[in-house]
Amino acid sequence: MPSADLVGYSNLALYSAMGVFTVSMLLFATYLAALGPVRNERASSLRDRELVGAGGAVRDGGEAGTGIPAPGQAVEEPSPRARKTANIALSLAWLGSLLLVASVVLRGVAVMRPPWGNMFEFATAGCAVAALGYCAVARRRHWEWLGLFVIGPVLLTLGLSMFAFYTEAAELVPALKSVWLTIHVVVAFLAVAVFTIGFSIGILYLVKRRREERPPARRNFVESLPAAASLERTAYGLNMVGFILWTFTLVAGAIWAQKAWSSYWTWDPKEVWTFVIWVVYAAYMHARATAGWEPRRAMWIALVGYVCVLLNFTVVNLFFTGMHAYSGLK
Amino acid sequence: MATQTPARAPVTQPRLGPVGWARWVWRSLTSMRTALFLLLLLSVAAVPGSIFPQRSIDAAKVADFLASNPTVGPWLDRLGFFDVYSSVWFSAIYLLLVVSLVGCIVPRSRLHWHTLRARPPRAPRNLTRLDQYIELTYAGDAAAARSAAAEALRRKRFRVISHDDETVSAESGYLRETGNLAFHIGLCVVIIGVAIGHLFGWRGDVIVTEGETFSSTLSSYDSFLPGPMADPENLPPFTIGLQSMSATFEDQVGGAQFGAPRSFTADVTTTERSGGPASQAQISPNHPVTLDGADVFLLGNGYAPIVTVRDGSGAVLYQQATPFLAQDNVYTSVGAIKVGAARPKALAFSGFFLPTAEPTYANGPASLFPDDRNPELALSVWEGDLYPGDRPQSVYTLDTTDLTQLTKADGTPLLIRLQPGQSYELPGGRGSITFDSVERFAGLSARVDPGKELTLLAAIATILGLVASLLVRRRRVFVRVRAAEDPSRTLVTIGGLAKTSDPGLGAVLAGLRDELSTGR
Repeated sequence: MPSADLVGYSNLALYSAMGVFTVSMLLFATYLAALGPVRNERASSLRDRELVGAGGAVRDGGEAGTGIPAPGQAVEEPSPRARKTANIALSLAWLGSLLLVASVVLRGVAVMRPPWGNMFEFATAGCAVAALGYCAVARRRHWEWLGLFVIGPVLLTLGLSMFAFYTEAAELVPALKSVWLTIHVVVAFLAVAVFTIGFSIGILYLVKRRREERPPARRNFVESLPAAASLERTAYGLNMVGFILWTFTLVAGAIWAQKAWSSYWTWDPKEVWTFVIWVVYAAYMHARATAGWEPRRAMWIALVGYVCVLLNFTVVNLFFTGMHAYSGLK
Repeated sequence: MATQTPARAPVTQPRLGPVGWARWVWRSLTSMRTALFLLLLLSVAAVPGSIFPQRSIDAAKVADFLASNPTVGPWLDRLGFFDVYSSVWFSAIYLLLVVSLVGCIVPRSRLHWHTLRARPPRAPRNLTRLDQYIELTYAGDAAAARSAAAEALRRKRFRVISHDDETVSAESGYLRETGNLAFHIGLCVVIIGVAIGHLFGWRGDVIVTEGETFSSTLSSYDSFLPGPMADPENLPPFTIGLQSMSATFEDQVGGAQFGAPRSFTADVTTTERSGGPASQAQISPNHPVTLDGADVFLLGNGYAPIVTVRDGSGAVLYQQATPFLAQDNVYTSVGAIKVGAARPKALAFSGFFLPTAEPTYANGPASLFPDDRNPELALSVWEGDLYPGDRPQSVYTLDTTDLTQLTKADGTPLLIRLQPGQSYELPGGRGSITFDSVERFAGLSARVDPGKELTLLAAIATILGLVASLLVRRRRVFVRVRAAEDPSRTLVTIGGLAKTSDPGLGAVLAGLRDELSTGR
């Protein structure tokens, strides 16, 4: 019998995290808005300097000396005020992430098992990983511009899981009682978290790329984002890590299926979609490695892959009948 | 290509002979563009299998679908939508992909074999034209600078060679292509492993009631699915005696979790090789036992009420535990009791077993909870010919073509409700039926898959290969030394060349510079 007190605290932590994330998200949005229309001339002169620097040698003290800004590095210096906003937003994102981690841990202690045994728990744990991972690298990589596009989806997912997927804290069904629940499912939500951030950056890349080709009359925050090529590389890196994790999820799932269901592959709907996602991201990796394909078209394949990830989590869990009947919902 | 320039004589197009065409087909098939197209096609082709019911998973559902969609259903069936993963089109796509894969692996393996044995190429004349370069002054003569650079590169696991006195050439990251090949070869081997399992493997399902012992022979399985090359005559001769089957269900937490299963355990006595010593074991989900090389899984469970049927004189015609199959999460179970020994006509009972019966039957017989808290049998009674035309039939259902249902005096069908210990006198001196007690049964599945170890190894190779091919960078580093004006010093230029985008190359060069500047 799970401890009702602990479950209560866990949910309280989750609600608090949502509150903190809301403020953080709004501040990240404010930060982006402040980046937008200001200092047109300074920005263009900065861009010229970047062009001059391109193709140069390794500078003293610099680690990567190609002249292109390091992946994820904003081209312009934001105003002190904007930077302060971003700092507060990031601190709040930290606070929210820690509250979320606390919520996941409390739930785990309450039910005395790994806290990712149903849809609600999977979504919460995935959000915790995505938010925490973002916070951990945001400052070092100057990823303040990404905050809105990570904390936003995280908040949306938390809302959905709290109000649509919520499942009473309880023990696991026998089929889930296995060490593979930790191996297979943890890697699965890590992969989804990484894919999510890759997806956000992928969309930003497509927008940025379009605006680089046809510079718009009015500037907005997109002009302050890192160069399209750099966004593309970052998204590729994340999707690549996601793809490796997903491959592992698939193989670990097959091993578990062999133990639990007697066959490592039965084309259960969840298996089908895991396979579809794997194939689509594999196609993306090939498209990007093919010289004739431009990165934009490849990125579209990755976006389709992420749509499959979303379908796999929602439609397949809720509407398809199969052996992965672990949503915890009726 | 035909062009529209009238002034020129018509272009003679090269004629392709059979060899030429074969080469063209092979080239097109093994091109990256085709592979990409096939990959996307494969992902689309896999989807219908998750939308439509599949025969390989649930044949009954396919039948239901066909019955409720009489127009579209047969067409979908003809097009293979109920057997997607063995359909012609799905197989065609993945077989073409395999061909494409092989066509990619073979030449690349050959190339990589040569690369692995080749020496790093000569340094280009002007290193400042490379992707990245660094210049520094080394405190020592040219030969010392060159050997220091070579030493530093070797420490960084580069393959190093000096083609002349002024340069060092180094290359690293051969593992990238090795990993890439391992990944693709691994995928082919996975497919081979799956095929071996499919061809030589088999699975047999059987229901064993508490107290029963099952011996593995072909005829003793309730259902047996051999692969095309499996040998069903020589099954491993293990036995399993089910001592007890226990199940627990959630009754503490409400909501959707109420009634969810919490544990299933089968306590069994097993023997291997006929006549081997008996040993005790437990089978539960995620914990199969291996007997004579076959894995035995606990995949289902349910209730088997013990029922006694007597004739008008009180002689026992039928007395056994009769499994009823659960239809839902609360174990509303259906089954049939066939009493062929009854005279003058055979008797049969069919209906529901309810582990925790809802007493009012307001919506028909229904169970409230999966555990046996208030067990009840709800049966209708039939008489006549049990096996019309001697057609094969399921033990869990009646073929009612030649059966007539017994009715009450008012003509409504007779429905018997029995709790454990209760009996019912059948009308017309036909005898009686007694519900003695309830036992549980275990649904066991024995499975042999000789390809699974190979598949697993190949899958692991695939993951390792993937990681290597995506994370290892192929790099070339060249060093050129030139005497400075001061004879005790040497000007060193280090240039780096990356095969793919390589954010770490600058760090490698910077590391070399630091080592050469500070060393000695």
